[in-house]
Amino acid sequence: MPSTIKIDPVTRLEGHLKIEVTVDGVAGAQKVVDAKATGTLFRGFEAILKNRNPLDAPDITQRICGVCPVSHGLAASMTLENAAGVTAPDNARIMRNLVLGSNFVQSHILHFYHLAVQDFVSGPDMPPWQPNWAADKRFDAATSGVLVSHYVQALEMRRKAHEMGALFGGRLPHPPAFVPGGFTTTPRPERITKFRAYLAELIAFINNVYLPDVGALANAYADYYSIGRGHGNLLAYGVFDLDGAGQSKLLRRGRILGGTGSALAVDPKAITESVTYSWYSDTTNNLSPSSGVTQPVYPKGGAYSWLKAPRYGGASRRKGKRVTVTPGAPYETGPLARMWVNGEYTRGISVMDRHASRAQETLKVAQAMDVWATQLGSGPVYQQYVTPTSASGFGLTEAPRGALGHWVDISNGKIGNYQVLTPTCWNASPRDSAGVPGPIEQALVGTPVANLDEPVEVLRVVHSFDPCLSCAVHVMRPAEGSKIFALGHYHGEDEVHEHTHSH
Amino acid sequence: MTISRRQFLELFRNSAAALGVGAVNLSVLEKALAQPGGPTVIWLQGSACTGCSVSLLNRISSTSPSTTADVLINIINLRYHPNLMAAAGKSAAAIAEEIAGGSGHILAVEGGVPTAFGGAACWAWTRADGTDVTFQQAVTMLAANAAQILCIGTCAAWGGIPAALPNPTGVRSVREVTGRPTLNIAGCPTHPDWIVWAIGQLVSGAPISVDSYGRPAALFGKTVHELCPRREREEASTYGQDYLCLEELGCKGPSTKGNCPITLWNGRANWCCDSNTLCIGCTDPAFPFTNLRSKTYAIDD
Repeated sequence: MPSTIKIDPVTRLEGHLKIEVTVDGVAGAQKVVDAKATGTLFRGFEAILKNRNPLDAPDITQRICGVCPVSHGLAASMTLENAAGVTAPDNARIMRNLVLGSNFVQSHILHFYHLAVQDFVSGPDMPPWQPNWAADKRFDAATSGVLVSHYVQALEMRRKAHEMGALFGGRLPHPPAFVPGGFTTTPRPERITKFRAYLAELIAFINNVYLPDVGALANAYADYYSIGRGHGNLLAYGVFDLDGAGQSKLLRRGRILGGTGSALAVDPKAITESVTYSWYSDTTNNLSPSSGVTQPVYPKGGAYSWLKAPRYGGASRRKGKRVTVTPGAPYETGPLARMWVNGEYTRGISVMDRHASRAQETLKVAQAMDVWATQLGSGPVYQQYVTPTSASGFGLTEAPRGALGHWVDISNGKIGNYQVLTPTCWNASPRDSAGVPGPIEQALVGTPVANLDEPVEVLRVVHSFDPCLSCAVHVMRPAEGSKIFALGHYHGEDEVHEHTHSH
Repeated sequence: MTISRRQFLELFRNSAAALGVGAVNLSVLEKALAQPGGPTVIWLQGSACTGCSVSLLNRISSTSPSTTADVLINIINLRYHPNLMAAAGKSAAAIAEEIAGGSGHILAVEGGVPTAFGGAACWAWTRADGTDVTFQQAVTMLAANAAQILCIGTCAAWGGIPAALPNPTGVRSVREVTGRPTLNIAGCPTHPDWIVWAIGQLVSGAPISVDSYGRPAALFGKTVHELCPRREREEASTYGQDYLCLEELGCKGPSTKGNCPITLWNGRANWCCDSNTLCIGCTDPAFPFTNLRSKTYAIDD
């Protein structure tokens, strides 16, 4: 007989997430047969941004998420520059990459040691590490002790990664140096020297501790290479521009359908959003975010999340007066998607593959930063940014946990509309109008659950995505009759398309 | 298997030697054996971004407690923190409910309290009986018998960015919702040294004098501009100019209370004005104002 388990709160992630799974006997074993992911906070950043000075967007949007603020500051700066048709100087591009890269390193180390590892290892005999579920802890005492001591060392390493980024960013979290038109800090030689000293220590930690620990985890829990696959669709916008126009990136843009084949192009126009299972009016179902008008309906029968369900590549078919819309496919986003699209990690799609690709990406980004730091020169860091009276723009980049896009409409020199689509909106989305579950929901199906009172296997699958609900659930606002959640109104669509094929 | 404190220390000592980890961390752990407990702290997150928790992890000081690990191991008994605690689901909810049924705990709140939809804009946990507890209910029940309420950051203290016009989810401060006085550790994010200072004062029983906004006077007694090494410098004309005063560009240092120019940020790596950018006034009760980056912009003109 099936049992339902609610995990609320799902701890050791950013923000508010509730997971509900149904467990039943499948071929003699207890497995998840159904899962629902619910985001349980909304704040309404778009409403707050409306009518504000566009120059405020980097500072305001960074406060969407204290774990990925750098990505939002960068996306907002890129978006405003796109609207004004300006390009940041090379020094600015490089310092942005260095601060963003520092936060990638910080976030990935934090994720593995402080958010994920306690699903596999029991910590010291005191809060906040106890109580912990005892189920399925496989390491012997000596190995457990080493991993726990690395937890403490990783606290120091992630702190140093933030100190490294703050050398240019000003402070972390919420670095104030991200502005449209460039960057505010100058690349003084002593800062470059300090940056590279921090980086050397971090690269040693990644090589000598982080990567081996992920290897040890993979050996002890090799079954997790076949748990948590999900749909197998991977999406990356790409990040770390290597030239002013962003034509070349350290991690490319692209998508993978069904876990096979070469990377396909990404066209932002192909994104639509379902609301059948979200607390919004069904009359707004499956709209392109660029034209989405959404009204909250709370409570609403069948709905279970404030998140909408972003999908890629849907189709509409007209028969007489009736238009039938088929939503596109759900896509997973994050380090595995980035590394796969880049052709650097294609072993598989699972809990353990997410950890392994994340660790490998950490090293790749850290090593690249050491080269970038030497490319800083004496040229300008900033060119005066003049806010256009009326313009639209967008910026696509990556947060540590996946693809991030910002879109703006400026009218009368003010923000007329601002829209954000975050990685965890993709990963933690509910079902779409065709009833297809979101990526985390699908990844949970088939997961074995040995002990219904301690469903640690469910946590392992959820944590492997590094969900960031702080980001994901900001996008709704309850003002009656107003737009709630939309990518919104990007223009210059040819430019989007061209950008998509830049690789 | 669970590791005892003593095993933890010995294992850490062995691996630390192999890794060349310095003496500071070892002294932290040695103290853990001597001081097995501290006041119970429950840390709740509401309409927040997690930035203040991340900032706390950046604590580094030459004075004890030197790091966040030191704070957790030696100073407080952090029984509930959504990002750090091992327990999840009903195991986590049970801890919160147990603390709520007791008294004398320190309640630390990160984030404002949404009141729209009857509080359903933010949920805290699901009880064993399946009922959902809103963040508003959680704060209210945990504030009732708390020995002290700490507002960690500007959002909990006054609403902050989620409460900015038009305040889409009806965010209120912890004080407004609970009717109880709060110690307001301002900032967006707040500084780890400010959090640790406040915890240290509370644990040691030292009195804390506050300003009219509930901020500790010891931390927020002077303006950023008064303490700023750039205040006598020439005015910067644009971003990207080293060692110049940013007041003419719209720096809010002259009206913002805080000791950032002295503490600096991130292990003294940098701070806002030393990256040639503005103080945007993140410790101010009116943050984020109607604009952050202009001297002239008005939101409703």
